[in-house]
Amino acid sequence: MSVQNVILKLQEFWAERGCYIASGYDGEVGAGTMSPDTFFRVLGKKPWQVAYWQPSRRPDDGRYGQNPNRVQKHNQFQVILKPVPADGQLLFLDSLIFLGVDIRIHDIKFDDDNWASPSLGAWGVGWQVMCDGLEISQFTYFQQAGGIELNPNSLEITYGIERLAGFLDGRSSLFELDWGNRVSYAQLKLEEERQFSVYNFELADIDMLRGLFQQYQREAERLLDRSLYLPAYDYVLKCSHAFNILDARKAISVAERTALMGIMRNLAARIAQKYVQQTEGEDHG
Amino acid sequence: MADLLLELGVEEIPAPAVGAIRDQLRNLFLARLEQDGIGHGAVECAASNRRLMLHVAQIPEKTASKEETVLGPAKRIALDERGLPTVALKKFCEFQKVKLTDVVEIDTPKGKYLGITKVGGGGDAAPLLAAAVPAVLAQLTFPKAMVWNESRVAFIRPLRSIVALFAGRLLDVEYAGVRAGNRSPGHLLLSDAFFEVNSIKDYFEGLARNFILLHEEERKAKILAEIREIEEDLECRVPCPDDMLEYYVYSNEYPVVFSGRFDEKYLTLPAEIITVFMTHEKKLLPVYDAGGKLTPHFVGVANIPDENGKVSRGNEKVVQAAFEDAQFFWDQDRKEDFFALKNLLKNVLFHKELGTYHEKVERLAGLVDFVINETRQDALRSRLHKAAFHCKNDLLTKMVREFPSLQGVMGGLYLQAAGEDPVVWKAIYGHYRPKGLSDEKLDDLGAGILSIADRMDNITGFIARGVKVSSSKDPYGIRRDASAIVKIIADFGLAMDLAPLIRLAALNFARNDADLQQIHKAVRELLAGRLESYLKEVARCRYDVVNAVMAQEAMAVHDKVLKAQAVTRLVESGMAEPLAALHRRLKNILGGSERCPFSEVELKEKEERLLSDVFKEAKPRIDGLILKRDYAQASSEILEMKPIIDAFFEKILVMDKNPILRKNRIALLQRLDELLSAVADFSLLVETKSGGKS
Repeated sequence: MSVQNVILKLQEFWAERGCYIASGYDGEVGAGTMSPDTFFRVLGKKPWQVAYWQPSRRPDDGRYGQNPNRVQKHNQFQVILKPVPADGQLLFLDSLIFLGVDIRIHDIKFDDDNWASPSLGAWGVGWQVMCDGLEISQFTYFQQAGGIELNPNSLEITYGIERLAGFLDGRSSLFELDWGNRVSYAQLKLEEERQFSVYNFELADIDMLRGLFQQYQREAERLLDRSLYLPAYDYVLKCSHAFNILDARKAISVAERTALMGIMRNLAARIAQKYVQQTEGEDHG
Repeated sequence: MADLLLELGVEEIPAPAVGAIRDQLRNLFLARLEQDGIGHGAVECAASNRRLMLHVAQIPEKTASKEETVLGPAKRIALDERGLPTVALKKFCEFQKVKLTDVVEIDTPKGKYLGITKVGGGGDAAPLLAAAVPAVLAQLTFPKAMVWNESRVAFIRPLRSIVALFAGRLLDVEYAGVRAGNRSPGHLLLSDAFFEVNSIKDYFEGLARNFILLHEEERKAKILAEIREIEEDLECRVPCPDDMLEYYVYSNEYPVVFSGRFDEKYLTLPAEIITVFMTHEKKLLPVYDAGGKLTPHFVGVANIPDENGKVSRGNEKVVQAAFEDAQFFWDQDRKEDFFALKNLLKNVLFHKELGTYHEKVERLAGLVDFVINETRQDALRSRLHKAAFHCKNDLLTKMVREFPSLQGVMGGLYLQAAGEDPVVWKAIYGHYRPKGLSDEKLDDLGAGILSIADRMDNITGFIARGVKVSSSKDPYGIRRDASAIVKIIADFGLAMDLAPLIRLAALNFARNDADLQQIHKAVRELLAGRLESYLKEVARCRYDVVNAVMAQEAMAVHDKVLKAQAVTRLVESGMAEPLAALHRRLKNILGGSERCPFSEVELKEKEERLLSDVFKEAKPRIDGLILKRDYAQASSEILEMKPIIDAFFEKILVMDKNPILRKNRIALLQRLDELLSAVADFSLLVETKSGGKS
């Protein structure tokens, strides 16, 4: 199955089950979880069902386009179900069947894998879902976000789009994938992977990125003081991406890592609190 | 009589946690039955990652009724002279809600009392059982619990179904927002989501029909038998470590073993890397040929039969990609100048109160130097210095960042690949080993020396910063570090006393002299404790033998091991008994008396002169034996003096009125005590009837 058909099918499946189909976040994020459609909406009491396709950047995972399974920019399909449905696991299996996975001949396992994002003060309990040894999804019950205990909890399902497409198409490399309508994945992505790997590992300007991190941090703080938590959160995400490139460049010591993580975590916690304060009325209304 | 069946359907419980939760459920439930006065027959308890099952046979449908006696006031207080009830008796009846006519006379050892007999129990078991289920579930404890619904009940993973059947009826139970019903979860992949359970027979038939092997022994046997088949087919060996077997048993309800293969070109990667990538990341087993070499095959366990090879093919692709990653790390890391990484350790924190890894390796060089002096390994000095300086560089490699468990090993492998001297790379390769007292012996002395230095630095550093350890609490693993030091010294038979090394290591962290003393004491106690464990658990010495050799202050590990072995042999040959009697007698007489000067001139009696002469003649020889660490021979030569010592005790009054004679005799016995104590404190051996070990 082509990459675009995986996305279309997942959108169709989750739309039919009551999800609002959002666009992915329009800036660099490491995962669908970081999008405001997840980060803010899992807070507070209000029910929320959303599904969206999120391109995700992890500079350190770049392999110059040489590894069949790892890239610095991959595509996630993110689903948030709040409150947690009693049959979430079955819904997920149904979505695989809908995609065309024959679950009676493939070894699908829910393998213990708790998730945590220290920079967002978020963690959850859950599994990586393996299909014949290949991780195709993450299935997580959120426990905390922005340092706030969640009640109700949300179920997060994150599909690895390339992994699923490769699996369904019997491909052993991402770069053999068909994106759709005769556009190949390699044609779209190979050069991008090569160039960004060179940039992330070899050429990114460390001093500039450190400077940017500080500027983004100050901007987020300034906006928070004005209670503009939405743009403030944008700048925390920019901090996070600058951090990830610095990390891929091996420019961050352990001590510095702890300090920078702490900065982002504190900002995320303050942003989450502002959001909860401001939306409390609506939630109970 | 009726059977109880309780089944909890849970979303996938992490494999290592299943067994402990199953045991808790069983034990707590049985304790509850006992508390409720409910008898029962056989108990069957089993679990997989998706369900916990408890089956208790032969529960009486009514609880046993039992008569109990409630004593009231004594007869003489309860009735007045005319035999009429007093206020005391009336109050008793009021309190017990009985009529005066219910009261009977009861004989007790304290005399006649009035009281009543009541019948308790005899109620229906079903409501008690229904109440027991949520009560017991609330008592379960988990390594990491979570909440997921409005009940806000914390459980290991979401509880999705409860079946509670007693005497053919469903019990009315609810827990964590889940109402008990007649639906049990099917196999995740091979059956419908649920199957219906209206009787115990239904349940077990349902399991069988739905590909659920509930009993862990059955799953384990199936896995091991199928691995054996593959071993025979491929004429190879597939060792399955305990932790992997546990993972397989508790990750599959219908385990099926499969095998696959990968491109032989990856066999050029070091075996250590291939093994870690397969087991840690992919949960697959490496396959070895008869000669113990890796083959391009792997074995795994699926939750379904792999009839058309899809599972195997899928895993082959995953393994291929993982090795591609391993190859990437291996190639990229080798492009870097390994020695240049040391400077970058300035950016890597060891611990926030103990500085960077760069500071640590500088300290290690000093400690390594000292251990080389102590063990007279001068030939290794310059190369072990180099190893010490560079032993943490691999923390900055891609491979170790991805797989921290390969630390040390990778540093060694990268240097080996770069053609470095074997003394250097082997020392780095092995310096995180041994992992504990029961680990295999290190085969490289250089690695042992570096390991001692690194671990002593850990122990003194963390203790200096106030870290306390116990058998259950050891956040930085320094107890294991102490075990490793003891084991390395014992394994290599290194003649070194740990006390000066502790002092040297502590100097790096002590803020002042009092601090230094305190660190020294705490580190010494930790090491002494691990040495005791080594002597008991690894050297298999009796506790009193351990006490006898631990009585001395010195912290020479190897020496203590030799002494403990010698004393054990003495115990076995029956020679320890007379030595123990002698040593006890000496201790009794000497008490805590101050050391006295000895003078031959003051010897008056024949027996004391004889003992002095024999002692004078024997002492240099025995000292020599002790220096050569032949403690058994030294002890038996001491024992040869026994008749003369006995004669001394028989004829000589040590506590003579003349202080000069008295002190001189005490002095002579003190020297004898010192000689014995140089081997062990034999007085601490316990008397055994046989005198030997059975």
